[in-house]
Amino acid sequence: MRGIDYVLKRIGFAVVTIFVAVTINFVLFRLAPGSAVTNLSRVPHATQQLRHALEVQFGLDKSKGEQYVIYLKQLLHGNLGVSFEYEQPVSKELRIALINTLPMVTLGTLFSILIGTLTGVIAAWRRGTPVEALTVSSALGFYSMPTQWLGLMLIIIFSGVLPTGGMTNEFLLNPGFWQHLKDLASHIVLPSLTLGLVLYGEYTLIVRSAMLETLGEDYILTARAKGLKPWTIVRKHALRNAMLPITTLVALSLGYIVAGAILIEIVFSWPGIGRAVYEAVLQRDYPMLQGAFLLLTISVVICNLIADLLYFKLDPRITE
Amino acid sequence: MTNVAPLIEAPAEVESSRRGFLFQTLRRRPAAVIGATILVLVGLTAVLAPWIAPYGLHTQVGRVFGHPSWRHPLGLDDGGIDMVTLLMWGVRVSLVVGFAATFVSMAIGGAIGVVAGYFGGVVDTILMRITDYFLVVPDVPLMIVVAAIWGPSLFHIIIVIGILLWTSTARVIRAQVKSVRERVYVKRARALGAGHTRIVLRHVLPQVAPLLIANTVLTIAVAIFDETALSFLGLGDPSTTSLGQVIEHAFERTAISSGAWWAIVPPGALVALIILACSLVGGSLEDALNPRLRVAHLSARTFRLRPLVGRGTDAL
Amino acid sequence: MRKRWLAAAPLIIAALIFATTATGSGKKAAASGGTFRVGTASGIDSLNPFVAFNQDAYSTFEYIYPVLVQYNSHLKFAPFFARSWHSSNHGKTWTFKTQPHAKWSDGKPLTAADAAWTINIAIKYEGGATANLAGLVAHITKASAPNATTLVVHYKQAAGNVLGQFQQFFILPKHIWAQHLGHKGAGLKRFANGAPVVGSGPFNLVKYTPKSIALFQRNSSYWGVKPKVQGFGLQQFSNDDAMVQALKAHQLDALETVPATAIKTLRNSGFAVSDVPGLDQTDFIINSNPKKKKHRELLNLKVKEAFDHAIDRKKIDSVTFLGAAQPANSIIPATTGSWHNPHLKTVSFNLDLANKILDKAGFKRGSGGIRLAHGKKMSYNVITPTDVQSIPRTFQIIQTDFKKIGVQLNQKALDSSTAFSVMSGPNNTYQGFDLAMWDWTALIDPDFMLSVVTCDQYGGWSDSGYCNKKYDRMYSKQQLTPNQTKRRQIVWQMQAYLYKQRPYLWLANDDSVSAVSKSWVGFKNTAQGPFNELNIQGLTQVHQK
Repeated sequence: MRGIDYVLKRIGFAVVTIFVAVTINFVLFRLAPGSAVTNLSRVPHATQQLRHALEVQFGLDKSKGEQYVIYLKQLLHGNLGVSFEYEQPVSKELRIALINTLPMVTLGTLFSILIGTLTGVIAAWRRGTPVEALTVSSALGFYSMPTQWLGLMLIIIFSGVLPTGGMTNEFLLNPGFWQHLKDLASHIVLPSLTLGLVLYGEYTLIVRSAMLETLGEDYILTARAKGLKPWTIVRKHALRNAMLPITTLVALSLGYIVAGAILIEIVFSWPGIGRAVYEAVLQRDYPMLQGAFLLLTISVVICNLIADLLYFKLDPRITE
Repeated sequence: MTNVAPLIEAPAEVESSRRGFLFQTLRRRPAAVIGATILVLVGLTAVLAPWIAPYGLHTQVGRVFGHPSWRHPLGLDDGGIDMVTLLMWGVRVSLVVGFAATFVSMAIGGAIGVVAGYFGGVVDTILMRITDYFLVVPDVPLMIVVAAIWGPSLFHIIIVIGILLWTSTARVIRAQVKSVRERVYVKRARALGAGHTRIVLRHVLPQVAPLLIANTVLTIAVAIFDETALSFLGLGDPSTTSLGQVIEHAFERTAISSGAWWAIVPPGALVALIILACSLVGGSLEDALNPRLRVAHLSARTFRLRPLVGRGTDAL
Repeated sequence: MRKRWLAAAPLIIAALIFATTATGSGKKAAASGGTFRVGTASGIDSLNPFVAFNQDAYSTFEYIYPVLVQYNSHLKFAPFFARSWHSSNHGKTWTFKTQPHAKWSDGKPLTAADAAWTINIAIKYEGGATANLAGLVAHITKASAPNATTLVVHYKQAAGNVLGQFQQFFILPKHIWAQHLGHKGAGLKRFANGAPVVGSGPFNLVKYTPKSIALFQRNSSYWGVKPKVQGFGLQQFSNDDAMVQALKAHQLDALETVPATAIKTLRNSGFAVSDVPGLDQTDFIINSNPKKKKHRELLNLKVKEAFDHAIDRKKIDSVTFLGAAQPANSIIPATTGSWHNPHLKTVSFNLDLANKILDKAGFKRGSGGIRLAHGKKMSYNVITPTDVQSIPRTFQIIQTDFKKIGVQLNQKALDSSTAFSVMSGPNNTYQGFDLAMWDWTALIDPDFMLSVVTCDQYGGWSDSGYCNKKYDRMYSKQQLTPNQTKRRQIVWQMQAYLYKQRPYLWLANDDSVSAVSKSWVGFKNTAQGPFNELNIQGLTQVHQK
């Protein structure tokens, strides 16, 4: 069979990358000057006893080497440790955060792919016309805006019309299914829209390039010569072929999008993984940070792997 | 112009008119002209800020979040400081970060690219594996972590951004170096006993330069972008005034809900303008050099994409 | 496949837009039964009293757990779960008569035995699991409950602030927490104590999602005065701006704390903004470690005095706090009532005087107008924590004025944990820094604030490196003076002493500012905010107009 080697090689690389990430995680966070204990205990009600108790509890009194071995052992058992700040298992905290992030990110990405594909196709098809200039420049415009700033602009515009913070109306106690869905939908619009807008420009440009390339191919010229309707050519021939790079790019970018949602989550008080990372940094919550960072790296590595395999499957020319 | 030019031809075309290349690109592409004009204007403002700024950077000239007026066309910020003045100084710091971080990433990426491409073999494999690792690491979270650990200072921000942006440079350079190395005159130079350094400096670098410039302009955009992000997360240097800091200050002090849009809209728009200008110039340059690379430069924002067309490390 | 997916997507978006427009603003929720919606920028960090740190967490405990005593509105101790009390045996034994016929929210009886158990458990594991409460049970040997309504607490020696400590001590349901002791009590910290929490206060906590919401409902079996609202909720925001927006859009009814910049706009939009002096004080720290090696001129009291005169407190008040702050002059803020020494005067802003003092002390100006001390430039790094929002502006103001007295300041911003480790330095030697800025939130009882400048606090609370045997003697004396009038005398003396020694230059005493929609009344603001751990007035009194 073609390329078992290739597949194994990619998987092997993915595993190695994850191991490197695990180690770098550990080193990076333990080298930090501020200790979690200092941070935790600098508040009213804390005493000297508390500081020592915290150190013992989180194993911070052991040597760095011992801490590393403990960390690896626990990881093998799927245990990401206990959050310094919340005293709850990191895996649990991360799961909740990730579940909150996914719908917002998915919706935003869907939006950007849809609009991006549409405008990309139009731009390619109407090459050289004002339509292309318009689509490309608006795509570039949104692409250039700082994410957090675009989010703030949307808040300025939509404040009072749409909720600008949080994931649901938290004051609703036991809402019905539809009520909950409606509530969620209204809260998800602005953050998803922000993500969608900053991403769509990129997709427009990618799709346009891919389309331009296919549109120049011989078979398209043939189709045109046969007098097929322009839209039919785009849909049946050009887009189908352009789908190859588009699909892989999307798979590739998914992993980064979760990581990139940090700014959006801060602007819109969205209780997701990005905010978890940010707050863990401020609290020097090592286990939480390591866990979140590991999760993000793994998701990127896996998306990369999928993109690789997908491309390999879709494009018969690759034989490594 | 069609986009189906074969890979090898683009660099060949460049070779013939390397010197006039920049100007030719600018002449042929209106987008590049617009971008370059914006960059020049912004750059001039940044350089001249100490002389042309209407007020002092730390001078309180009115009340907190004062409205725009004739004397202060963009109003005042949360410390009663003139916004126009802040923007002028802010552009200066943002550009410094952009250029310095890009310089760091160019140095790292260029060195790794040249070494990997020129020497090949095991060195190449190892360096490319490292590059691959940096390519998959989610860079925004990593930047946050490193910046938080090191503590906020302009120097740290520059280094953090620099050490995470070099991968695309390394890949582009390496591919170019590989192809240049195989050229007849380089082989001849080697046969004549020219040293590695000499070959790289005299023959390889000049060939790679235009691509390097395109890459540089695009990296500047990413660096400025990342600086605003880090500043927004409170990881910027509070003793300097970058555009990111101006946005962050206004946001922290509830500019939006206080109705002081003038403290938050202009700095962001200015960042967008700079990034747009860089994208236009860099994109046009890259486009002109090699239309097939177009996807490769789309590396800004929160994630980085690998060159897709002609993909893989050896295909460039 | 692909086609169908593409076709479905616009439908999803259309449905979403429909759902959105149908929902509209959050006004509906207010009608759903008298729930008072409060916004906060800090939030509850944990519902476990052995783990929690944030003010909001302690305020929550105040509303869901019994506490022996509370403060009345004049900051005097008032009965709460303890109806009366007296001390005997020269102040070494305290007897509390507690509320009869009280019940926990799960129907089990709440008695003095629960109180005794909580105190004893806090003592037993004070070096480990219950270290969080150790300070509150200091000097106690044991507690007992001879009957359901009597609690007896025994002390090693007569203590000066028994009620002040018990005011912060939450009584936990023994029948719940005794199951979670674990090995050496370690289980106490592991217990999430998630909602619904078994408690016994005016409210029950019925829903809690970290970083977003805590919802409270009226406790029908509560033994005290019942709240007027059905319930209240505390929503946490990750930034002030979103919080203020939510209030303006009527998705909230009140804000626990209002950022200074938002006061005016909220008043203009028709909210009742309450602005009262608070307990938080911003300070400028001068490393006062007597063994300090570098820049020893900073130990010179004349230098410190000159610095104090170069601080423009009026400008800080108007620019940083937009008027929502009071001048500060002592480690004990005026809001603690009689504990603050009223004879202390706020230091004047007088650059000429500051210059004269420095000239007279012999610090000549060198190149660039910067003064020289022992041949070295008077140029210092000022460490500032990144999470105190008022600092960047305040620093700029101070920096500009210090330049005029020939002193160069450079801001070195660090996140709070790093800042503190840099300041205390390796092995807590306090050699690594010269100047810093931070803030302190005082408690009503002065003991805690006075303790932070004692030698004992090296590596603990000390952020000034100040260590002075004379001061330390005064500190232990006030701790062991049960007579509160005599204790106050000592506390005043200590303040006057620190006023001259100047480990801290006090910059401002931030107001506690809260806002509430005009359709609600009775949300009483205090120095600790309306949602506080002083008493339960804020949310038991609030009601719709």
